[in-house]
Amino acid sequence: MRNMDSPSMIICRCEEITLQEIVETASRFRCSAREVKLRTRAGMGFCGGRTCRMLVDAIVRQTAGEPAEPLPDAFSLTYRPPVRPVSFSELGGETPDERQN
Amino acid sequence: MNGRIDRHPILGPLPPRKQIRFQFDDRTYLGYEGETIAAALLANGVRALRRHEASGTPRGIYCNIGHCFECRVTVDGKDNIRACLTPIRDGMVVRSGRKLPAPFVVGGDSL
Repeated sequence: MRNMDSPSMIICRCEEITLQEIVETASRFRCSAREVKLRTRAGMGFCGGRTCRMLVDAIVRQTAGEPAEPLPDAFSLTYRPPVRPVSFSELGGETPDERQN
Repeated sequence: MNGRIDRHPILGPLPPRKQIRFQFDDRTYLGYEGETIAAALLANGVRALRRHEASGTPRGIYCNIGHCFECRVTVDGKDNIRACLTPIRDGMVVRSGRKLPAPFVVGGDSL
């Protein structure tokens, strides 16, 4: 069983981004969670960041600390509705009978 | 192999259910009506539901509530169906996701 602090622990499973990659990016560039996301792709995978967004935010906050000057894009990772994924076929009026799965 | 809790100390024995045959990656498995794909496969000892598209590392049940999409499989030709939410049906054909070719990445698999 690996330590929970292990640098190789995967934070974003969709894009397979490790704790180490996020910490290194955050400390090297002293940047916001949003910039870490854009640099590493953490939170940009299939699940839309629903699983790791809070973790990425927290790790970046812990690593970078409070900046002297607020970063221009220092808001948390953005997310947009819908909260649940909706397929185009559902939007197009597919019924549960047609959907089956 | 039966990985089910047949006799729960509080809930009692499992009620009798209809047995269903379904396919996962060309192998036939038995499950029970009402079970999800993920549950039926887990009961059959199958934990890897797909491979990561880029790295090929195995993926299975993670959140099991339809949130994380780690268990997405192809069901009857339809991609990205969550195995943890989808009940099995008789004759259902399920395919796992596999590592994809990356011909434009240095060291990536060719097509």
